[in-house]
Amino acid sequence: MAAKEKVYKILLTVFMAAFGIVCIFPFIFMISSSFKISADVMKFPFHLIPERFTMDNFVGLFTNGMYNFQKWYVNTIVMTALCIIIKIFFVSFTAYGFSKINFKGRDAIFLVLLSAMMIPSDIMILPRYIIFKNLHILDTMWALILPSCVDVYFVFLLRQSFIAIPESISEAAKIDGCSHLRIFWQVIFPLAKPSIATMALFSFTWAWNDYMGPYLYISTMDKQMLSVGVKLFSSGLIQDYGSQMAAATVVLIPVLVAFLFCQRFFIEGVASSGVKG
Amino acid sequence: MPTALLFVRKIHEKLFLQAGNGGVMQQNKVKIKTSHAQKKENRAGYFFIAPYLTFFTVFTGIPFLMAIGMSFLNIKYITKLDNLKFVGLKNFTKIFSNKEILDSLWRTFGYALVYVPLIMILGFALAVILNKGVYAKNALRATVFMPYVSNIVAVAVIFKVLLGSNSPIIQQLQSWGFEPPLLLQDLKLALPTTAVIAVWKGLGLNMVVYLGALQGVPAELLEAAQIDGATKWERIRHVVFPMVSPTTFFLLISSIIGSLQNFTIIQALTEGGPGQATTVMSVNIVRTAFMKYDTSLASAMALVMFVIVMIITLIQWYGQKKWVNY
Repeated sequence: MAAKEKVYKILLTVFMAAFGIVCIFPFIFMISSSFKISADVMKFPFHLIPERFTMDNFVGLFTNGMYNFQKWYVNTIVMTALCIIIKIFFVSFTAYGFSKINFKGRDAIFLVLLSAMMIPSDIMILPRYIIFKNLHILDTMWALILPSCVDVYFVFLLRQSFIAIPESISEAAKIDGCSHLRIFWQVIFPLAKPSIATMALFSFTWAWNDYMGPYLYISTMDKQMLSVGVKLFSSGLIQDYGSQMAAATVVLIPVLVAFLFCQRFFIEGVASSGVKG
Repeated sequence: MPTALLFVRKIHEKLFLQAGNGGVMQQNKVKIKTSHAQKKENRAGYFFIAPYLTFFTVFTGIPFLMAIGMSFLNIKYITKLDNLKFVGLKNFTKIFSNKEILDSLWRTFGYALVYVPLIMILGFALAVILNKGVYAKNALRATVFMPYVSNIVAVAVIFKVLLGSNSPIIQQLQSWGFEPPLLLQDLKLALPTTAVIAVWKGLGLNMVVYLGALQGVPAELLEAAQIDGATKWERIRHVVFPMVSPTTFFLLISSIIGSLQNFTIIQALTEGGPGQATTVMSVNIVRTAFMKYDTSLASAMALVMFVIVMIITLIQWYGQKKWVNY
């Protein structure tokens, strides 16, 4: 029986591993091809290790005369960083208000926010365009950063983890004469660091990967983001597969590396806050 | 954006936190006296939520109301807001008499019919396998989850090369004697292909959420079923499946909503082509608004999609009593 179970387990592992390879094969192909000269990318059979190794594709990305790839890269880094930092403070500040302060109408207001989660984002595209224009933030990265701070999802998640912090801790601080602002900043915020880290990671990938925002609201080439840039870049180079793969690689590497190092936060963040049956 | 997930949270909150645990929300509710202390507390509370509420009103509340208003007006160019006229339901009658728009609506449903069943079944199956016990569980879980964090536009660049003519995969298949079609350039196959790539990207999330639920199924229940002589399949069908049905319900709703918001993946992979083969509603809305400059019609189309999502969700909400066990 034990031997049979073991065989079974090995079979399942082999099956899952095969499936896993299908899942990550595009990434393997991409990284391998980005170091090949374009003529070798489509060569059959596929070689994992480039026969003729080259860095030219990456050099070409940042030195081509047509597109300002490094500018897009810097834009995306600045936008993503601002997005994460502003969101962390903004959302945790709000979540504190909704969890640790007993003010009149709190739960009613929170329910309104929750029901707004059902509104699909597609419906906001056009009105937001008009609003950005009137706020004079159209065609700037603030059109991407500010709306992303209104993330009900994370207000909800952080509120949950703030509620899980025992009331006695903040009560004790209150008796010692702490104001809400100090309790938030010196007591609650440090205690909720794991949830805040999960939020920061997800915000990072969403901001970094956002395509629709920059596509619709940013028109100046030099202010554009990587997601839009990589599409422009790759459609301009139909046959130059090596460069296309290099472009995809530099866009994907930051999120993939972040994921590899922090995958516990990503996956357990989903699993623990996820629905339990 | 994870609007789909957000929605799941909302329901989750309603069911489990209010009804289940006796309500965390109620727990903190102290009888509100308009004492001096309470007034101070009120002021502090509004101070903490005021910045957020301002942003929420500007970037979500007002846009939502504007979207509804705009669908009943005759706005053409989005930047020109003079000469507005109320046109009643004209934009909506236009939608339902325009073949091009209706076709894109059907394509949206076609996409969902591939995406939703596939991601639900695969997500559940993989979670069952992982939960059953495999070697290197965490590493395998991470490989399936990895596409979820990736940039879809960069991924589309890879897939376009991999599925294009002359790619190593195509050549490999040809050397085995197959004649593989060019999936993204085929009029019939392009739409299901984009849906399958979307499944590839989103699968990890469904799997991990299911895995969390499966770990909550008590081992004694499964053992009891085994002693009673239930086969593996019967145990999954009659024990595991009912136990995780709330999760199934939430994932189903979030997958359906997610399947309707597919602008980025389709724009990145095919831009609606070849021909109109992958022009679904989300692509058509953006095109109507930003290329055909018919702002009001685009708003009306988005509103129709919103109403469809609401109806589907409501049907499921009332239908759940038949198969969801809490």
